[in-house]
Amino acid sequence: MIVDQKKMENLADNLMAAEEVQGRSLWADAARRFSHNKAAIGGLVTLTLVVLFTLIGPSFAQWSNEEIDWAVLGQVKTMGAPSIESGHYFGTDELGRDLYSRVIQGTSISLMVGVIGSFVAVVVGTLYGAIAGYVGGRVDNFMMRLVDIFMSIPYMFVLILLLVIFGRSLNMLFIGIGLISWFDMSRIVRGQTLSIKNKEFIEAAVAAGVSNFTIIMRHIVPNLVGIVIVYASLLVPGFILAESFISFLGLGVQEPNTSWGALISEGARTMQYGTLWQIGFPLFFFTITLFSMFFIGDGLRDALDPKDR
Amino acid sequence: MFSFILKRLLTAIPTLLILIIVSFILMHSAPGGPFTSERALPPQVEANINAKYGLDKPLHEQIFVYVKSIVLHFDFGPSFRYKDRSVNDLISDGFPVTLTYGSISALVAVLFGVTMGVIAALNHNTWKDYTALGFTFTAQVLPNFVMAPLLVLLFTLQLGWLPGGGWEGGKAQYIIMPVIALSTSYMATIARITRSSMLEVLNSNFIRTAKAKGLPYQRIVFKHALKPALLPVLSYMGPAMVGLITGSVIIDMYFSTGGIGVLFVNGALNRDYSTIMGITILVGTLTVLLNLVVDVLYAWIDPKIRY
Amino acid sequence: MKPFQKTLAAALVSSAIFMVGCSSDDDAAATSAAAPETKSGPTHPVTGETLAADQTFTYWALDEHSSLDPQIMEDTAGSDHARQLFEGLLSQDADGNLVPGVAETFTANADKTVYTFNLRKDAKWSNGDPVTANDFVYAWKRAVNPETASPYSWYMEIMNIVNGAEIIAGEAEVDSLGVKAVDDYTLEVTLTESLPYFPMMVNHSTVFPVHPATVEKFGAEWTKPENMVSNGAYKLTQHVVNERVEMVRNDQYWNNDATIIEKIVTIVVPDENQGLIRWKAGEFDRGPVPSGQFKSLKEEFGEQAVSAPRLCNYYYTFNVSDSGPEAFKDVRVRKALSYALDRSVITENILQAGQENAYTFTPSKTAGFTMPNVAYANMTQEERVAEAKKLLAEAGYGEGNPLKFSILYNTSEGHKQIATAMSQMWKSSLGVEATLNNMEWKTFLTERGEQNFELARGAWCGDYNEASTFLDLLRSQSGYNDGKYVNTEVDRLMDEAKTSADPNVQYTAIEQILADEMPVIPVYFYTTNFMLHDDVKGWPYNNIEQNWYARDLYKVAK
Repeated sequence: MIVDQKKMENLADNLMAAEEVQGRSLWADAARRFSHNKAAIGGLVTLTLVVLFTLIGPSFAQWSNEEIDWAVLGQVKTMGAPSIESGHYFGTDELGRDLYSRVIQGTSISLMVGVIGSFVAVVVGTLYGAIAGYVGGRVDNFMMRLVDIFMSIPYMFVLILLLVIFGRSLNMLFIGIGLISWFDMSRIVRGQTLSIKNKEFIEAAVAAGVSNFTIIMRHIVPNLVGIVIVYASLLVPGFILAESFISFLGLGVQEPNTSWGALISEGARTMQYGTLWQIGFPLFFFTITLFSMFFIGDGLRDALDPKDR
Repeated sequence: MFSFILKRLLTAIPTLLILIIVSFILMHSAPGGPFTSERALPPQVEANINAKYGLDKPLHEQIFVYVKSIVLHFDFGPSFRYKDRSVNDLISDGFPVTLTYGSISALVAVLFGVTMGVIAALNHNTWKDYTALGFTFTAQVLPNFVMAPLLVLLFTLQLGWLPGGGWEGGKAQYIIMPVIALSTSYMATIARITRSSMLEVLNSNFIRTAKAKGLPYQRIVFKHALKPALLPVLSYMGPAMVGLITGSVIIDMYFSTGGIGVLFVNGALNRDYSTIMGITILVGTLTVLLNLVVDVLYAWIDPKIRY
Repeated sequence: MKPFQKTLAAALVSSAIFMVGCSSDDDAAATSAAAPETKSGPTHPVTGETLAADQTFTYWALDEHSSLDPQIMEDTAGSDHARQLFEGLLSQDADGNLVPGVAETFTANADKTVYTFNLRKDAKWSNGDPVTANDFVYAWKRAVNPETASPYSWYMEIMNIVNGAEIIAGEAEVDSLGVKAVDDYTLEVTLTESLPYFPMMVNHSTVFPVHPATVEKFGAEWTKPENMVSNGAYKLTQHVVNERVEMVRNDQYWNNDATIIEKIVTIVVPDENQGLIRWKAGEFDRGPVPSGQFKSLKEEFGEQAVSAPRLCNYYYTFNVSDSGPEAFKDVRVRKALSYALDRSVITENILQAGQENAYTFTPSKTAGFTMPNVAYANMTQEERVAEAKKLLAEAGYGEGNPLKFSILYNTSEGHKQIATAMSQMWKSSLGVEATLNNMEWKTFLTERGEQNFELARGAWCGDYNEASTFLDLLRSQSGYNDGKYVNTEVDRLMDEAKTSADPNVQYTAIEQILADEMPVIPVYFYTTNFMLHDDVKGWPYNNIEQNWYARDLYKVAK
């Protein structure tokens, strides 16, 4: 009985989908499905709020992100707690600097790091992996061994050399992140491509004489979208934390500027001393942003899955 | 398949050689050397040390001598930082430690991750989906360096159940916290990749056909859907395994486990050339090998795959 | 020479009394029998306190030592181990005074260029062999031998031992070193010229003896637990790199009867906060005080939070070489920046662990060093800031033309806080725009060593307790003078001090020059901070070099 019902439902779904496709573009269809996904919409709203906070937040700040509140310095535990009166809405860090302003400023840096990192991962990783997987044979072997080498090289020295040769700047930070971001992605994409290229529709395209490049762009990549989006959203926390290592070496964000990675590790350090706001606020923003990105990623995956009706 | 594996193993040799050369050059171009210290050494003292460690020779000669002693004697040289130890000593002491907590973590992460991912996919967009994902997300969103002190604060200081660190040859009570801290940071990724590819597979034609044929749902999921859904998990686990079993510097730092994670990062920060090279070669070898294993498993999951 | 002989004589007497007090088993037995304690168990032979049943001393270490070989080691972690495993000619007591080690007495000739050490006859290696003068000769020659490539071989050079420098440079035979065994228990050292603080220098791990047969037999492997033979109060039983070091009492040690701590365990945790949690959980007897936490730990744990002065300075150096900024060649700018720095904010509000404001380069607690009266040390901060504003205006910097430069420091939470506070202070009091620039350690050292900086952090801990270990750094040719400050008068005074009857005269004069020319900004003098559970007794709180010996420690029953 149940099976029958399912069958009927499937049939009905298929019929409806067939009808609707006439009137809607693929994109409108995806947008409609995305908008029906509550978790994804919730994520989108939260992420928008976080971005708005970095834009509007500063106008409410009473302290800049670098000023030391000399009255608080030395007694952060008692005087540095979050308070409307003192103007430190989120409290202060160990040095008596306003955490509200620092979180806002750190948020904008870390968001940029996350977005740029996953952008590079998606573009480079997908193309590289799809080409290696589709072409196969020696090209595949060569391209993948190259990735093996890239993955094993002591990356720290690459960063230090970048610092010594080009000097410190925010752009170098993004280059540093971009350099490593795509390795894992390319491996995953290649694995999927190996499997996809044996499907009937690819064979059909080959038989019809479609060029390799077109096959990759039109037939392979769209079938990778789901896993690529999901994996890209998973990479974001890694990039945000990698930033603090890059900054440790001296290449990235420089004091008095800060980032989520730096704020969270400072907060983790003082966790046992009772100044919990120092980890609480940055970790809160980090967490809700990542959750939003994960849900948006899943929503996009569901919406763009060509088979999911 | 046998000739494929053989071919791949042969290509590993030039791959590792290129890795050695590139890393060697990179390492030596970075500012500072193993003997750069707060007070610059008097030139004669520095000359004596450089002579002892062969650093006075031209770079290409150093690389040649290095590769030769590995090939002929499997000798990775003396450590420049831990002067009482050879790199062979350091790695043979540290690697079993990381291998132990790394592979247990990998096992835990895969078991939990895949289970959660499958539960989430089967209950797509229901509360079960969100709970399963939420659980793994929360675990992943807490970075290692927050998780580690939290665990010690809770289990060591508050409850007094577990020792705050150490290894002691790998007794169970020393392994628990490192495994929790390490496995949680991989679990969510595995769960989410599983969920997404499981959904994709469940929507594919052959599963629809199976459903239409009236096969029991359970059997469809475990017999037909799970295997292909694991393909991207496998792609992910190849490099992730290398990361897991070559150790995490955070774990070694916070739990003083003495694995090769902290050895590598300290080696790099101290410019301990021989230790860096030793571990780089280990990482490179594992990367090549595990990716070979992954490729072999691909063919098992999807017999149509040809290389 | 006179003051040193006196100190040593006094030390000998006091330690002799101590030895009488503790090496006599009968006395100890008598005390414990007489003690009306309900708790059974042995008591301390001198103080009569009831001793804990478990005499294991476990301590936290931030970093793994580089070597356990006395001639190779170069870090504090290593010398902490060396003092337990080995015994040099002389040791130190709880106040840092010299006391007999393997040498019972020593004498010097009239012009203080030949020292003769008379070794005790009961000193033994952990395998039972006697410790002889030849073992010292072997070790010292080993330290200068170019083949050993000791990073601390230069220490032998500054000890002025005949032919030391030549051997290191490969210009003389190793056997020509000015040290010889007159007989098995008499060691004679010949110096190129007299050195007032020579006896203090033989307390360093580089000049500790090694067991020649063991070193010859095992080569670089001799420091492994299964191979090592040592002559200290303890012997090595376990060593896992980056995890732990374990030592137990050496029953061959000549004064083994006085040793109370049975076992020493060192645990490496490269994170201070994690180390503190584990101290709180009772896993360590001695743990860290993370930067800035001393005050609150003191409130919570009282006397268990320890702060003791330490022989280290913390400063910022101007780059006054050609590659440095033009502004820093103007002494008024250098002075203005130093004056405007409110050191009390750094010591009292940031570090909060009893550190001392620094206005001189040499730490105030250095032995035989009398703090010179530098003018700006006695002004109030308001006066200093007013003077700084005036000087900076004179130099031509002000609102229309703000002074701009960058501050280089190596990445660390503590250094970051100080650099940030400094830049903010200068900004608010002088309108100076200082940008911060952090780098990882080796890159930092290279950039600083190559004068690729404007203002850079520096710090130095004394190798021995005498002002020259610090002031040497500011000689024109010093390997640590990264700011390239050149003043021939300083060089001349330093040379003069080497043979001076009262070197303090020269040191004071140099400090006055430094205060006038301000090539560096002294910031503060270190303290040693650590957590020590209160059942551990005998810690040498007053030893400014913090040279502690586990054989002097004991744990009392709680």
